[in-house]
Amino acid sequence: MSQDISPSTAFIDGKPFLFQSGETILNVVDRHLGRGHVPTLCDAPQLEPYGACRVCSVEVALQDGGPRRVVASCHTPMAPGMHIFTETQKVRRLRKNIVELVLTDHPLDCLTCEVNGNCELQTVAAKVGIRKVRYPEGENHLDRKKDLSHPYMTSDLSKCINCSRCVRACDEIQGQHVLSMHGRGFNARIIKGMDTTFEESPCVSCGACSQACPTSAISDVFMSKSIEATNKTRTVCTYCGVGCNLTVATKGNEVLSIQAPVDAEVNHAHTCLKGRFAFKFYNHKDRLRKPLIRQPDGAFKEATWDEAYEHIVTNLKRIIAANGPQAVAGISSARCTNEENYLMQKFIRHVVGTNNIDCCARVCHSPTAWGMQKSFGTGAATNSFEDIGYTKCIMVIGANPTEGHPVTGARLKQAVMKGTPLIVIDPRRIEIVPYAKYHLQLRPGTNVALLNMMARFILDEGLVKKDFVEKRCENWEEFEAGLRSLDMDALEKITGVDKELVRAAAIEYASSEAAMSFHGLGVTEHEQGAKTVMLISNLAMMTGNIGRPGVGVNPLRGQNNVQGAADMGCQPHQGAGYFEMNDIQVQKRYSEFYGTNTPSEPGWKIPQMFDNAIAGNLKALWLMGEDVVQTDPDAHHVRHAMDSLEFLVVQEIFMTETAKYADVILPAASFLEKSGTFTNAERRVQRVNAAVKPLEGTKPDGQIMCEIIQRFGHPQADYTPDGVLAEIAQIVPFFKGATWENLGEQGKQWPIREGGVDTQIMHVEQFARGKGHFHFFNWQESTELKTNGTEFPFILTTGRILEHYNCGTMTRRTGNSEIVAKDLLAINPADARAKSINTGDTVKLFSARGEVELEASVTDEVKPGILYTTFHFPENMVNNVTGQGCDADTLCPEYKVVAADIVKVS
Amino acid sequence: MASNPVEYLPGKQPHPREHRMIFRNVDRAGWDASIDTYLNDGGYEMAKKALKMERQDIINEVKASGLRGRGGAGFPTGVKWGFIPPTNTKPVYLICNADESEPGTFKDRYILHQDPHQLIEGMIISAFAVKANLAYIYIREEFPHAATIVEKAIAEAKNKGFLGKAIFGSDFDLEIYVHRGAGAYICGEETGLIESLEGKRPYPRIKPPYFPAALGLYMSPTIVNNVESLCHVKHILQMGGAEYAKLGTPNNTGTRILCVSGDVQKPGYYEVQVGKVTMGEVINDLCGGLKPGRTLKAIIPGGSSAKVLKADETYKLKDGRELTIWDIPMDFDTMAACGSMAGSGGVMIMDDSRSMAWVINNLNKFYQHESCGQCTPCREGSPWMAKISDRIIAGNASPDDVDMLEQVANQIEGKTICAFGEAASWPTQSFVRKFRDEIKSMTKADLAGRIVNEETKLAVAGLEA
Repeated sequence: MSQDISPSTAFIDGKPFLFQSGETILNVVDRHLGRGHVPTLCDAPQLEPYGACRVCSVEVALQDGGPRRVVASCHTPMAPGMHIFTETQKVRRLRKNIVELVLTDHPLDCLTCEVNGNCELQTVAAKVGIRKVRYPEGENHLDRKKDLSHPYMTSDLSKCINCSRCVRACDEIQGQHVLSMHGRGFNARIIKGMDTTFEESPCVSCGACSQACPTSAISDVFMSKSIEATNKTRTVCTYCGVGCNLTVATKGNEVLSIQAPVDAEVNHAHTCLKGRFAFKFYNHKDRLRKPLIRQPDGAFKEATWDEAYEHIVTNLKRIIAANGPQAVAGISSARCTNEENYLMQKFIRHVVGTNNIDCCARVCHSPTAWGMQKSFGTGAATNSFEDIGYTKCIMVIGANPTEGHPVTGARLKQAVMKGTPLIVIDPRRIEIVPYAKYHLQLRPGTNVALLNMMARFILDEGLVKKDFVEKRCENWEEFEAGLRSLDMDALEKITGVDKELVRAAAIEYASSEAAMSFHGLGVTEHEQGAKTVMLISNLAMMTGNIGRPGVGVNPLRGQNNVQGAADMGCQPHQGAGYFEMNDIQVQKRYSEFYGTNTPSEPGWKIPQMFDNAIAGNLKALWLMGEDVVQTDPDAHHVRHAMDSLEFLVVQEIFMTETAKYADVILPAASFLEKSGTFTNAERRVQRVNAAVKPLEGTKPDGQIMCEIIQRFGHPQADYTPDGVLAEIAQIVPFFKGATWENLGEQGKQWPIREGGVDTQIMHVEQFARGKGHFHFFNWQESTELKTNGTEFPFILTTGRILEHYNCGTMTRRTGNSEIVAKDLLAINPADARAKSINTGDTVKLFSARGEVELEASVTDEVKPGILYTTFHFPENMVNNVTGQGCDADTLCPEYKVVAADIVKVS
Repeated sequence: MASNPVEYLPGKQPHPREHRMIFRNVDRAGWDASIDTYLNDGGYEMAKKALKMERQDIINEVKASGLRGRGGAGFPTGVKWGFIPPTNTKPVYLICNADESEPGTFKDRYILHQDPHQLIEGMIISAFAVKANLAYIYIREEFPHAATIVEKAIAEAKNKGFLGKAIFGSDFDLEIYVHRGAGAYICGEETGLIESLEGKRPYPRIKPPYFPAALGLYMSPTIVNNVESLCHVKHILQMGGAEYAKLGTPNNTGTRILCVSGDVQKPGYYEVQVGKVTMGEVINDLCGGLKPGRTLKAIIPGGSSAKVLKADETYKLKDGRELTIWDIPMDFDTMAACGSMAGSGGVMIMDDSRSMAWVINNLNKFYQHESCGQCTPCREGSPWMAKISDRIIAGNASPDDVDMLEQVANQIEGKTICAFGEAASWPTQSFVRKFRDEIKSMTKADLAGRIVNEETKLAVAGLEA
């Protein structure tokens, strides 16, 4: 971590200032005298020092009265006793001359330029005192054409000053290397890809270049650098578990554009195209703006909020009276805030009186929460994103970070490009594989076999950290005996991965000073999902990779608040703060706190809710922001469940596939219109601030929950984010020290102790459960393959892509749809040949459940026998094909292993 | 030195004032670039010897020799080697800079063409000394034959077990690879070269923090030495550092190859002891004097970037000596004291037939073309220098343009990431300072106070537009 350095003193224009070792002159000037005191064109705080524009030149003497020389302050390190002169005549003249030369090749059309008033060249030119340019009109590049080819990115390189900030942003932040400099000297110019347009280049439109560009040479269609906005709000992105901070520019009640704060610890001026550009869904014409009540004829009719609430209360009370509270269930959303999730489970559990509360973590990371609790005592990432900077070995298992968690993915890629060895365990050749040292391309469904092989090799190679195991862990003997019983040749056949490659990767991981693992849904969404999580935990424990910087087990959370939804108690077996609901003491504590009787009957998990709906035991379901029909597996089964319900309430922002089955639809507000907190994948609780008022007719989910609790006659204050957070802090121990104020702009990582002290690294001294517990499991073939594998010989595995988010309700209503407009089915060339399928053909994909038609993409990213697709588009409804197989411990669906077959349609 | 007398090809005999050491085999009768020829001449004995020595002893010998880099900067080679951090755990790389592209310089190419094994032997010794197991020879694009010859020589050496695993039966491994440039002067700048070697655009790196000896190729310690410098290492080992240091003059030891071009009777390469020959002797003895009926006007003494020396100048040195241009000894220190530099050894002689404005325009065109474009002052300034000097020689310039030309140069010098800024501005600065009247005489006095620009055609149109 950061070294303990005592600050030294240097003098800036005669005044003493403290600095720390490693700081550059410009760092110190910026901090003490404000950014801009020394002007610069090529330096940007989110980029490495570059030293090319020379506008930041200062005069430096190593001691008082010593000889002075001109240096670029951006890359010259501070030295004790140094004297820095920022405004001598010499440097002023130099700066002025440089900027004057720049202006000889820059259009002087400031008044009509989109960044007028927020142009760094303009500011610097004013600062250095340019009033006229002495050079006559000469050769220039003012005739360069604009590039308006892309849905988001724009360029007008006649405004380019060749500072290379965009190129460096593309290299140093996103790591895409799309932008580069072409030609030399005066003819040097920015090119995209192989000198093409944004649209045709491999640009992933993260927008880091646009944000870094000091002029409008590279910008975006939302003109995010213009000064048109009247207000800027800092909030948190809702598109994944990374939790990027956003600065939302608004005018009136309209969102104009989004940028990423440079000082954000989570994302350092970076977002992906979803966070930065895919916000236009928020006031899309399709937004639900009035409550809707289904009429006896089946049609929806607009209603007032009062009517809708009245209808809900009457029906729910009737169902509870007739069937008991167990006939009611709620599914909360990991897209919503902690406060909203907390209120939802409070309503279901403590007002309705049933443990039938679950959330979409069920279908993604419930095995992580369960497995890591079993191993360590806490179902959350052990370390922080910052640790990527300290780790010496990265292992990515069943995750596609550059697509699913783009900002963390980019950070991982940066570390790997700088030399950190990477092990990828994934059935597909995903984007980071070419950067990896090892790619263990296993057959889907064999994670347990592969991780067992790794553990056995670590054991065989004598790389087990015995001290750590003895002092900190338990049940090693059983685990070791299990490992010794493995038949490695058989496992090699099962996984399809050369065992020598597995051995080498195991040695790399185990012999590293600090190895860090990341995993995603490729681990959890399997029949042995939770077991795989426990095996990952085993690897970390047996190699001592816990409780230090740069190590640990780190789930990459899919949704923005999947951590928080479980923390808040949206699981049937654990209440807010992970208290076991079958514990009488826990029930008592909750009952006292809420003043109601706490249910003792175990609740249903989501798949059980569907089964019980079909069986007639579950009569009413309340869904907050979740489209189970499109996203849950075996859509036929889900539809059947929805049809079987007597009463379905859906809180949504759009008419989803699920909402079509509702009896009442409540129009909710999007993240841009609400305040609360999200907890990201590194346990960081961050403030979400409403950038605009809710669309007329809509209400934030938290407010809806408060109002419904009130209408059930239970005491409940009106919704305020700080008020609900204060209530959470009383009942959730690891939120004890969290207040709305002290979360600040960067948030805090739980456990947050009293006084607001937070936790970057967990299990430092001991595990949350005391000792880390080793578990041994043998690999088992998926039931799906055993049952259907012969009839349907391909293994289909599903995932998602960078451009779209889950069921796509939001991203499909933005420019992202111009970039990717459909789900594609990846087929290995050998299989494609055998079935006469070419890229672009329509293919029927079918399984024991059903069939869908998809466009084929013939690619060797999948091995023969493997198919891959995404589930973003309702037109494709890929979940008609997926099955009901699920993790044995948590019922998390087995999206990753589906026995399927294909046939060419056209 | 091998004692047997060396015969040279007819008409290629070295001048008696030469001291052929590095160029001993250049133009040698019966000599070719093959390894057998080199071995018959006692080749690779020093490499074998080095591998049995302590590394520090080799470095000490090189330090004792006083060898200064022959690429242009004249930095002591042994000191450079000593910059590798003692705590280093990363691989160390040795790079031979064979991107000989300084105008007026043509010495390395003869080594590459005619005596590649001398270079390889020097590299084996140097690589061993700095603990590099991987070395590169970065050869400029314009030397296609050199690349073929060197690659063949490497293959021969590898075949003999002089390169590869456990060379000469020691436990030292060394691979040498040839990397071809793509035609850019900036690749001769060591950090630009490193970027290029990494497969990137050769934008020079900022120093600090990227000093090659600590953060060089692939962010690992890297020693970049010129072809000639690496060859000297072999001879230092052969003679012993102290004995080598007796060649030349104090602090300017050894021999170096002067590449003389321009207005002399016999331009060419001449290997002399550093500082033992004066500029006058170079012109009159080595090169057979100026062309008939001509008088000396100016000299660029160390490659095109070196500041020009004017024929009628005198130089007052700190030790009290006063020198004319003819008296300047061809060494590093005196040349610097006279306001220029020995640089890469490219000596360009200009007689009274030369227009100084034409010369500076020619140089400005070169630097404009070669500016990599990274730093603003150089990217924007070098075209303006070319543009203004263009106007001057076209006879369309205002007298003020001459001052503006100098001002632009002043804003480049010392204000760029790499030394290209100096290289590009020193010629203009020195020519304008020393030949201001001549250059001004080519401008139109009646345009004084007016801004003119060839491209706007204002001047052509008689400023009426």
